[in-house]
Formats: sequence, C-alpha cells, structure tokens
Amino acid sequence: MYPDKAPPTDVRTTRRHGTATRRRLLAAALVVPLALGAAACGGDDESSDPNKPVELSIFWWGAEGRATLTEKALELYHQKHPNVTFKKTWQANQGYFDKLATLTAGGNAPDLFQIDDNYIAEYAGRNVTLDLTSYAGDGRLDMSKFPPGLKEYGTVDGKLAGVAFGENTQGLVYDKTLLDKFKLPAPKTGMSWDDYISWAENVSKTAKVPGTQDASAVYQAYWVWLRQRGKDLYKGKELGFDEQDVTAWFELWKGARERGATPTPDVIHEGNATDISKQLVVTGKAATSWVWANQMPELKKNTKDELGVVAYPGDPKAQWARASMYFSVFRGSPNKDQAVDVLNFLANDPEAGKILGTDRGLPSNLEVRQVVADSVTDPSMKQTIAVQNELGKTFGPAPAVPLKGHSKVRSELIRVAEEVQFGRQTPAQGAAAFVAAAKAAIGQG
Amino acid sequence: MTTVRTAQSRIEPVRPGPADRQGPRRRRHSENLPGYVFLSPWLLGLLAITAIPMMLSLYLSFTDYDILTPLSEVNWVGWDNYRRMFTSDPSYWHAVQVTVTFALVAVPLKLAAALAVALLLNRAIRGIGLFRGLFYLPSLLGGSVALAIVWRSMFSRDGSFNSFLAFFGIEGAPWVNDPRFALETLMVLAIWQFGAPMVIFLAGLKQVPAELYEAASVDGAGTWSQFRNVTLPMLSPVIFFNLVLETIHGFQGFTAAFVLSNGTGGPVDSTLMYTLDLYIKGFVELNMGYASAMAWVFLLTIGLITVVLFRTGRFWVHYSDAEEH
Repeated sequence: MYPDKAPPTDVRTTRRHGTATRRRLLAAALVVPLALGAAACGGDDESSDPNKPVELSIFWWGAEGRATLTEKALELYHQKHPNVTFKKTWQANQGYFDKLATLTAGGNAPDLFQIDDNYIAEYAGRNVTLDLTSYAGDGRLDMSKFPPGLKEYGTVDGKLAGVAFGENTQGLVYDKTLLDKFKLPAPKTGMSWDDYISWAENVSKTAKVPGTQDASAVYQAYWVWLRQRGKDLYKGKELGFDEQDVTAWFELWKGARERGATPTPDVIHEGNATDISKQLVVTGKAATSWVWANQMPELKKNTKDELGVVAYPGDPKAQWARASMYFSVFRGSPNKDQAVDVLNFLANDPEAGKILGTDRGLPSNLEVRQVVADSVTDPSMKQTIAVQNELGKTFGPAPAVPLKGHSKVRSELIRVAEEVQFGRQTPAQGAAAFVAAAKAAIGQG
Repeated sequence: MTTVRTAQSRIEPVRPGPADRQGPRRRRHSENLPGYVFLSPWLLGLLAITAIPMMLSLYLSFTDYDILTPLSEVNWVGWDNYRRMFTSDPSYWHAVQVTVTFALVAVPLKLAAALAVALLLNRAIRGIGLFRGLFYLPSLLGGSVALAIVWRSMFSRDGSFNSFLAFFGIEGAPWVNDPRFALETLMVLAIWQFGAPMVIFLAGLKQVPAELYEAASVDGAGTWSQFRNVTLPMLSPVIFFNLVLETIHGFQGFTAAFVLSNGTGGPVDSTLMYTLDLYIKGFVELNMGYASAMAWVFLLTIGLITVVLFRTGRFWVHYSDAEEH
C-alpha cells in the first residue's frame, strides 16, 4: 500500500539537509506566510461613489420563520438602494457560533452578523466587531429612540459592539390547554417560589404531567432568583454570588423534585437543550418551561396546545429588559458604512419593523414598537407584546452585559445541576464545584 | 479519517536513503518523474489539506490562539497548554477515561460480532448475497447523523426499544438520557455497525484453503477444534488488520456522541469522548491553541497504541508466506 521509499518532498529535504531540524524549519516557513495571509485580509477601502454596486454578506441563526421575515426586510432595503445586494446565510442556533468563529478565523467573517450575550464580549474583546460609537454619535446609526438600557447592553469595555435587535425578558410559559382541562389555575406573576412549587406539585398530582421543568440548570432563572436576593450573576469582573447562594438554589429544586413537582432527571436533561422544539412544555412532558418571552411564537409552532406566559416566580422587579440578540458589523468589512446603514434601516424603519415583527423580541426602537403593536396580526406575537408591556412596568435596572466566559459559566451550571439532579452530588458539593468552575471560566483568581 | 491516515503515515519510517544511493540517483530520478507528475494531484492535496494544517496546528499548540484573534497576534506560551492538560484540567482526564472505556469495550465486541456473523455468512445457502447485504447495511449508514438521531429517539424513555421491552414486562430505562447508560448506548451503536470488518473477515475466510479443513477433519478435528487450529491462525493477519483499524476508529468516535448529547457530552459528561472535549475546547470555548495541543497528544497516543499493537502482533499473527522462506 505504501511506497517502499518516502514521499518525494521528504526525500528531497532530508537529502539536502539531512536533519530533522531542517524539516521543522520548513514547517515554520509554511506557517508564517499563512499567518500573514490571514492577517492581511480586510482593509478599509471605502469608495466615495454612493451608487457603486455593493454586496453585503449577512449571517444569522434562527428558524425558517425568521429567515422569511429577514429576507423580506432586506428586500425592502434593496428596493430603496438598488446598488446594494445581500448574500444571506442562516442556520439553526446549534453550530452557528462554530461557523461564525471559523469564518472569522479565515478572515471571511460576514459583513453583518447576529450575535448574543454568550459571545458578544468574546468578539468585542478581540476586536472582531466594529466599534459603532462614532456612528451612533453622528446619527448615521440612530439609537435615540432606544430605551437607554438596550443601548448600554451592547456596550463592551466602552465600545458599542452591537445594535440590540429586540428586547425580551424571562417568560415562564405554561400549557393553558392542559391546565384548563383539569380546571387548574394558571401560574401568576408575583407568586413566591414556594407557592409556585406547591402549585406545580398540585399539577403533577392532578394532571399526571409534571408541573414544572426543573430550573436548577436554567441560568436565567438562577439569575432572576439571585437578583431577588439582592445578588447578581456578575459584579464587575467577578462572580456576584457565592457557594451559599448556589447551595440554596440547588436545595430549592431538590425539594421540588422530592415533592414530585418536576419530571425525572432524564426528562429534565432533555428539556435542558437550547432547542425550542425540545422544551418540555411543547413536548408535553411538563406543564411549564423557562424561556424568553419572545420565543412564544416559535414555541407555539411546535404544539397544538394553547400557551400562556407569565413572569418567573418571585418579585418581577428582578427581571429586566434584555437585548435578546444583536447585530454587529465585522471590523474588517470593506463596506462598513453601508453595513451600518443597513442596521440603521432595519432597526428604525417602521416598514421594516412591521415585517420583522417581534420575532427577535420587541423592536428596540420604541416608535417602531408602537407601530408593530398596532399592526401585528399573529396572535402569539400579540400575546408576547401584551405580556412584555405588562412586565415592562416593573422592570428593574438591567445588569451589565455578561462577561467573557459567560457561555462556559452556562454550560458548567447545566453540568453541575444535572450532577445534583441525578443525585451524584449533594447541593453543597455541586455548589462548590460550580463556583470553582465559574471562577475559572471568567478568569477570576 | 484524516487522523487515521496521518497516524499511519507518521508511523511509516521516513529515513534518509543510504549513501550508496547517490550513484544511480540521477537516472532513477528522471525515470520517476512522470510518476510524480501523475501523483501530484494527490500530493498537492496531501500538502494543502493534511500536511500544512497539521504543521500549523503543531505550531498553534504552543500558543494561546483563540480563533478570533488573527494568527499574527497570537502569543507563544511554550508548554503551557500541555502542562494544563496533564495537571489542571479535570474534564481532560475524564474524557480520556470515557474514551478508553469506550474503546476497550466496543472494539473487541464489534470484532467478535463481525467475526461471528462472517462465519455464519460464509456458507453456500440460498439468498446469501441478500443476507450479506443486509448485515452490511448499518455500516453504510456509518458516520451518519441521521442514524444517531434515530438512535436517540429509539433509546429515550418513550422510545421504541422500551416499548419492545414492555412486551416482555420489562421496564426500560431512559437509556440515552441517563448517565448510567448513555455511554453503553453509544457502544451498542458502534458494535451494531460491524459491517466493514465483517466484509473483510468474510474475504479472509474465503482465502483459507479447503484442504486444511479436509486434512483437519481426517485427523479427527471437530468444528471447534477446526476453528481454533485452522480458522483463527489462518485468519490472524485479517484479525490484526481489523483490530488496528477499529482501535483507531474507536478512539476517534465523535459523530454519535455529538448528536446524542447535542454537542455537550452530557448527561453529566457521561459521553464526553476525547474528540468531543477537543471540539468543545476549540470551537465553543475558543481555546484553539489548547485544542491543538489536545489533538497532538491524541495523535501521538494513537500512534503509540498502533506501534504497541504491531509489536504484540509478532507473537500471534501468522503469515503463511513467512514460512515459505
């Protein structure tokens, strides 16, 4: 199968130099131009001709519904600016950030890309995103109609790294059809955690469907609960909680599991997937799921049952207006100004706003939000708007954008919480493990 | 598969030719030229797709490369990545343990299943071609994502496997979602795809001269004795070939673990195979320098295991042509 002598390249190198060191040098010689090549990509040659044809690449994650809406909105921009065309790419959330990272590494990052809290600090911290501060300053990017919290939320280390493309907040979604069938009351905004767990226990007993998904692995539920205790997920560049907090959180849910308020650990594990179609409230394996309010329409597509949404238990003041996701501009894009103009259009144009609806969350621009609220026809979008407006009255101050390492903190919470759910660790052991892992993830000494 | 190829080509000794080659070199060179020209598409591919990226990853394994930072700005960190792997990364050793367990169980069982089925199919009965095709089918679907998805739904709590067990009054478990069974479910999936080694075994069995069996039965050997004293020794080169290939394959398992756990290695890291951990470190946590170091340790380890297998092979692999010399 193999030739009895080495491949010719090797033969030649070794003959000429005779040592292995030389081969290593050759390798280095191959590496260097490659490195320079990747670095050399992306200049900033803006042309002054406003009508020269421009193709902008744009990349987002989401389901087909989002793709249809986004493509329509981009088409509208194209009609107004016929010289601008789009190269549109979209895919499911799983694998999206792998692809974005790979494209970035190759110097081929899209001109415009969607991003969220998990990675915005990573990308901004490494100067992949264009700093939009000057654009926002001179009005080329109009953020004046944004609520202040949303604008600040896209700011990392003093640089505006992304434009918030929707506002959402935590939403506890419940299966209304199931509850009605057994004449059970719906959960209410403002009920205490203990009341909520008792309610769920009652649902389990009556309806024979577990009353609530176990939230111990759900970071945003933990976060709200921390804020209700006067703590936070992060404080400056450090963790905003300690082992006692995590222990208490794990104990709360251990109690809920023992009372039969939640499904068994293997089912909880299924529901811990980020995929919307696997949420237990739509797979019928629990009466509630811990999601974001803007995900209602997508959840609705996965079930025949009617769904309702309320705030997470406890004081709703702990919830906040969160930027559900952002669009950022690649710093190496050859058409930065044009790309920012597209963002400006998508965020502020009422017609574009009407097309996009609440798919990414409530529109960031408050005037557009009003237009959308007046014109929207999709019933689950209507429901989202009503609930978020209701919750919006009691919103507390928004926390800072999560730290670099946030996605690792999230995956560690899932891992440790599942250890506790499967009974492989006590809440206290789990808490110690999670605090250690979270500190390592954000680089806190 | 890339790593398989590279693993082998690294083991293949590449030594400078002896001095006496100097004389006829020029003439041979011109004779070989057309050969190299015809080989060049493959050589260029090897260089561009395998050799250069490999060398680059070796370099990156000594840096803090994080994918997003341009290569020109990475920092040289010396042996830090390697040190961290062996001393302060708890998930690393866990992944090693999961992978070794997987390979130790799945590889021998897969080979045993392949050999057993090959023996059954090595006879002249009606419709044998159809049977062979059917048994080979699962491995045609080999690394397929669809198969892993089917597996996931078959072996969940309300999956068809549990319905099947319920027929016999057995209460199943939530196999893929239970840390006690998730890895075992992966092993079963791997073992079930025994088609490729089976076909090779079948070819090997066809090569065993019928006279040997005739002679053995004249000497009074029963079925078991024939299997032990004729089939196994005659088949040992094929067994060895399959063992080496499947061991490498077993260590590299990724797709099924990735799909079954949604890319997390869960539940609670029970399916965190080495390659999956490597992927998470590189692409999710953006520590590509560290992931490169992991890949190199992995490559060297598989290389070492292969060398060990070759060494032990001397004691039990029987090449019939060796005795003719």
